[in-house]
Amino acid sequence: MRGIRKEFPGVVANDEVSFEVRRGEVHALLGENGAGKSTLMNILYGLYRPDGGEIRLNGKPVSFSSAREAINAGIGMVHQHFMLIPVMTVAENVVLGTEPVREGVLLDERAAARRVADMAKTFNFAVDPEALVEDISVGQQQRVEIMKALYRNADVLILDEPTAVLTPQEASDLFDILQTLRQEGMSIIFISHKLNEVLEIADRITVLRRGKTIETVSRHGATEASLARAMVGRDVLLRVDKPQAATGDVLLTVQDLHVRDDRGIEKVRGVSLDVRAGEIVGIAGVDGNGQSELIDALTGLQKIESGAVTIAGRELSHASARAALDAGIGHIPEDRQRRGLVLEFSIAENIALHDYAKPPTARSGWLFPGRMVQRAKTLIKEFDVRGGGPLTRAGGLSGGNQQKLVVAREIDRDPKVLIAAQPTRGLDVGAIEYLHRRLVAERDEGRAILLISLELEEILSLSDRILVLFEGEIVGEHTGEVSEETIGLEMLGGGEKAVA
Amino acid sequence: MNTWTARLENPLSARLRDPATTGAFGILLGAFAAFLAIPPIEARTVTWPILFGIVAAALGIWTVTRGRRRLGWGAVAAGLLGIGLGILATRSSTGNLESAFDATLVAQTLGFSTPLVFGAIGGMFSERSGVVNIGLEGMMLMGAFWGVYGADKGGSWAVGLLVAMGVGGLLALVYAFFAIHLRADQIVGGTAVNFLAVGITGYFFIELYNNNPIHNGVSLLPNVHVPGLPVNPDNPHGFVDFLGQAVGDLSILTWAGLALVILAYVVLFKTPIGLRIRACGEHPRAADTVGINVYVIRYGCVILSGMLAALGGIYLSEGPQGNGTFIFNMTNGRGFIALAAMIFGNWRPAGAAAAALLFGFSSALALKLQVYSQSAGTLFQILPYVLTLIAVAGVIGRTVAPAADGKPYAKQ
Repeated sequence: MRGIRKEFPGVVANDEVSFEVRRGEVHALLGENGAGKSTLMNILYGLYRPDGGEIRLNGKPVSFSSAREAINAGIGMVHQHFMLIPVMTVAENVVLGTEPVREGVLLDERAAARRVADMAKTFNFAVDPEALVEDISVGQQQRVEIMKALYRNADVLILDEPTAVLTPQEASDLFDILQTLRQEGMSIIFISHKLNEVLEIADRITVLRRGKTIETVSRHGATEASLARAMVGRDVLLRVDKPQAATGDVLLTVQDLHVRDDRGIEKVRGVSLDVRAGEIVGIAGVDGNGQSELIDALTGLQKIESGAVTIAGRELSHASARAALDAGIGHIPEDRQRRGLVLEFSIAENIALHDYAKPPTARSGWLFPGRMVQRAKTLIKEFDVRGGGPLTRAGGLSGGNQQKLVVAREIDRDPKVLIAAQPTRGLDVGAIEYLHRRLVAERDEGRAILLISLELEEILSLSDRILVLFEGEIVGEHTGEVSEETIGLEMLGGGEKAVA
Repeated sequence: MNTWTARLENPLSARLRDPATTGAFGILLGAFAAFLAIPPIEARTVTWPILFGIVAAALGIWTVTRGRRRLGWGAVAAGLLGIGLGILATRSSTGNLESAFDATLVAQTLGFSTPLVFGAIGGMFSERSGVVNIGLEGMMLMGAFWGVYGADKGGSWAVGLLVAMGVGGLLALVYAFFAIHLRADQIVGGTAVNFLAVGITGYFFIELYNNNPIHNGVSLLPNVHVPGLPVNPDNPHGFVDFLGQAVGDLSILTWAGLALVILAYVVLFKTPIGLRIRACGEHPRAADTVGINVYVIRYGCVILSGMLAALGGIYLSEGPQGNGTFIFNMTNGRGFIALAAMIFGNWRPAGAAAAALLFGFSSALALKLQVYSQSAGTLFQILPYVLTLIAVAGVIGRTVAPAADGKPYAKQ
């Protein structure tokens, strides 16, 4: 692809972008959110038309006006949000649009299933062709997406942020599959903003920033720091420097907490912990080991089966969400788009979500929009929320700025205890750096911070104390230096406690 | 040696013991219990209905205890209803009974179902591709009027059929343009189509026919005589006469409707085009990314639904009941009942057809019962709506619409 240019109303998404992929290599496209990676790939896949530049495939210039043309030319794409139909079988999803036919008009279901089974066997995919897509795991769904491309004889495979939805184990399986495909002579374009996985899988790396190609480098010689600099345009502190914690009183106490999820399964089974003022306690664990239920119980969103939650001396075991907030809990939710913000509301309205009924925002049942806007202006400035003013729709902000907005609202309420759940999920390096520094700063202000994250690295670099959650129980506690391996083992239930 | 476990693992017996099977079988038996007491079988003792009813209820209880509650209670209710109806039927005089439950009831059920089948299958194509088609009613009405017009001016019912399909398809095309291209709200758009159709047919009915019933002698849809069956036996007796009365003299469209159900099933579920249609209704973007033209599929399906609905409409005016006359707004909500049948049948051809037959049956029964009691007949008329509400509320297994049904698709 050479000199590709694409403009959307008001933005240049790709500005003279050039890069090339060789046969049998894994080529990573690295860049922050909004750097133009996905746009570039949608152009290559025929979903967008470029405003300038040319695409050459095997030396010949090509131009695709639809996905079908790109597919016919041997390009396959695994989208970030899977393009699968949940109520159809794996085989039906794979052959859709290029179906095998018998007797002229009928769909040959058997041939479809057989060919999918053959592919699954060749590449060791372990996917049942007759299974419904909604019944298989996310990792398997991704393999179905890859099979869709293989079935259409793709020799260039584009993967858009493929690991975003995978567990670490599934991601490692995916990398094995990609290695196999590369050995078969396939060219793979791997889009990501995660430095470590790019260094692990890619042969060469092209960095994009704000729609422009910055550089193409070989994996050998590239480091996380050098790539981060190219991505962001300045030096990035990947490790957080933080002073020694000065801890104070215990602000959050949880005693023998048991919580059941919506289906009645006990997900939190006797968790006890406390968090002091001025410390960050990190909870490590593989997804689905009770993190969400623990958070929901602490914030009053889920009923507690038994046990006690105390915030700054106040018993809050069966309190409502409103009471938990009033008692001094701040909550940065796991899913900012669904739980953190009302995307159709403006920034000012989102900021007023908690305190809309209290002075100064409201008095005697009347809302004062002017005051809401004033407050929003102050916070936008203080927390460096970019991309709009107080009346901008929250949904129009980038992920990093949405998260800053949530953090601004929660911290402005001056909470005693701040629960930060996956605070940097899906964010790019620059925004992660900002949020990490902010969390440490809030700790130094004397807040008690409970950090729940699936990113082990984040837990290790931020926490003063680490608790490991496995199947709803705390199976390990560490203060000070501890290796990633030790915690990783405990996260899988293989710690000392399990051995003993 | 392990014959017992081998038998346990035998797929057939396992399937028979599956609560879903027993529950469905129980409901069937319950219906059969009531059926025993009415002609043509007409058991004159209460023993048989009671026996079958009890077996049905027992199967229902077995099903409930195996975890399928709704189905199980359904079977219990069917069993009890079967007993009740059976007792009532055996108590009433044979003469009354025979005039209410005779072979013409079957014929009328099929007749009333015909327009519903066409409408429901038409709606199914549209909705399976992702476009809600509330405008079925209007498209049906257009078919009813322009079908007679075509038959009148063209001199043949075949011309009427073609004109009806053409006009129905045209109105559907207009609707498709709004719903697909302009991404207008499909409920509002469909409602507008319905009013538009009332207006257009009303206007031309006055303009062309002075609001008078269209004169006699219009070429009508022919009936199909099944070879070997008596058409109108003077003194019906025995099974052959019963069959002759029931299916010996049905409209060509009634048979076409039955064929359409099978054809729709094959097309939707056994061909590549059907797979693509369903893909567009479930996840249009996924379809788009594998090179399927979502717009072409949706336009095609909506136009087809208009043509099929128009066929349902022409049956009303040109069929055995219409006799070549058009009446202002003569569809009278049948398009909506067809839509209800489609939902009741869970967006599947066989289900929709079964629902259409059930609704047709309740209309036919209402007509018969009017002889004895005006109010009872009217009460039966509401049965389709009650059943639809029950179906939508998920009492008999939840109905699931295509995921992208009613959502306009915008290419990026």
